[in-house]
Amino acid sequence: MSYKPNENDLMAYLYGELEGSEKEAMDKYLFEHPEARIELERLQQMRSMLGHVKDKEVIAPPIFVGESKQRFIWNAPYLKTIVSIAASLLLIILVGKLSGMRIQYQESELRISFGGNQVGNDNVAAAAQPTLASLSSEEVQAMINSSLDKNNMAMQSSWKETQQQLDASITKNLQQNSNKIDKLVRDASAASQDQIRQFVSGMQTENLQLVKNYFKLSADEQKQYIESLLVDFSKYLQQQRNDDLQLVQTRLNSIEKNTDVFKQETEQILSSIITTVGTKNSIGTTN
Amino acid sequence: MVDTLLNIAMMQSDTLVTRAKEGDQSAQGKLVQLWYKRIYNFGYKFFMDHDLAMEVSQKTFISMCKNLPGLQDNARFKSWLYKIAVNYCREEIRKKKGDRSLSFDVVWNRDAEDSPKWESTAHRFDNPESQLHRTELADILQQALSELNAEQREVVIMKEYEGLKFREIAEVLNISENTVKSRMYYGLDGLRKILDRKNINKDTIGYEL
Repeated sequence: MSYKPNENDLMAYLYGELEGSEKEAMDKYLFEHPEARIELERLQQMRSMLGHVKDKEVIAPPIFVGESKQRFIWNAPYLKTIVSIAASLLLIILVGKLSGMRIQYQESELRISFGGNQVGNDNVAAAAQPTLASLSSEEVQAMINSSLDKNNMAMQSSWKETQQQLDASITKNLQQNSNKIDKLVRDASAASQDQIRQFVSGMQTENLQLVKNYFKLSADEQKQYIESLLVDFSKYLQQQRNDDLQLVQTRLNSIEKNTDVFKQETEQILSSIITTVGTKNSIGTTN
Repeated sequence: MVDTLLNIAMMQSDTLVTRAKEGDQSAQGKLVQLWYKRIYNFGYKFFMDHDLAMEVSQKTFISMCKNLPGLQDNARFKSWLYKIAVNYCREEIRKKKGDRSLSFDVVWNRDAEDSPKWESTAHRFDNPESQLHRTELADILQQALSELNAEQREVVIMKEYEGLKFREIAEVLNISENTVKSRMYYGLDGLRKILDRKNINKDTIGYEL
């Protein structure tokens, strides 16, 4: 009676995972203890009841690992933080640029300002002021004005000179060019009238010769052609006459033959008639 | 039935796992096909919710494909896979606690639907009365399961429906074998109490069936 199984052993026994001496001990214990048997039975009923829940049928959907990997990299936390830091830096720079913020550190003096261009101009003016302190502003103005006037005068004079020179040279060039062009045109027109006359007369003589030659040649050809035509025609006529003569002769021959045959036939017929009449007469006489 | 199927699955798994570890995509796909139903049903019994079960199983298999090369011992593939699934289930529970929205299944009154539930099952040509009882009983049991606390539920489902050994469950949950057994015991005990409360016991079921 030393063996007293605990709930763990009971579970192992229930699912058949108890082995060897432990299983034997449990069997023995259950045999001796009906209340433990009832407990086990109740557990077994519970199991059989649970068996009524059946598996559900399901079709496995396709699982794409490549895609999920990509998403994994994209969602990686370190990448996110890096990108977010970069984005915020960009935003700060953009805001600074838009608001015209300016930070300066000069002679242990830190300046942060917005719309900073004016600050720069102020500084330049402030730097320039001490050097010009010995001269008054009016004097400076006068000096600037005088120098500007001088400069303007010199500029204007040189300008005028160059303009006059340019005008003069342009008029000269124009005159020379127009004279040259006139001469050329005149030469060209004079020359062309003579040439045209010569060309026309040449053309006329050439044409005359051409027509003469053409007529000569064509007359000769016509003569020859007509001669040959006449010869051919006389030859043809001769031939025709010969043929006709032959034809007439053959006809005459055939008529001659026919009359001969006719003659013979009539002779035969006559002779036969004569003979038959002769015999009849002789018979008549005998009778 | 479940045992033999699981044994076949395990035998195939060993060779498949080695090939899948080397990056063979078709072997990975076959592993998914082989184990998807098991993991889905584990999730379904755990949450009693199709969408959550689908989500957990998909996450589990994506994680499996990614982390398979890190698996040391092929023989431990099964407990390793269930470990991933259990972790995702726990994550979903944590999410659900922070989530104030209601699941559509809670809002949707299924009883008010025109067609009874058994019409969509494969056994609808059986004797309708017994069929109705069977589905009702399964629903009641499922309900009772979801009333258990998560620790006991995990163990009961893995032991009773997934057929894992106590040693394997201990491996999955990273606790001692004795703790697993005691959770199992209290889980079964708790289920019995819940069913008693609903006035369902051996006699009523035996009578009905």
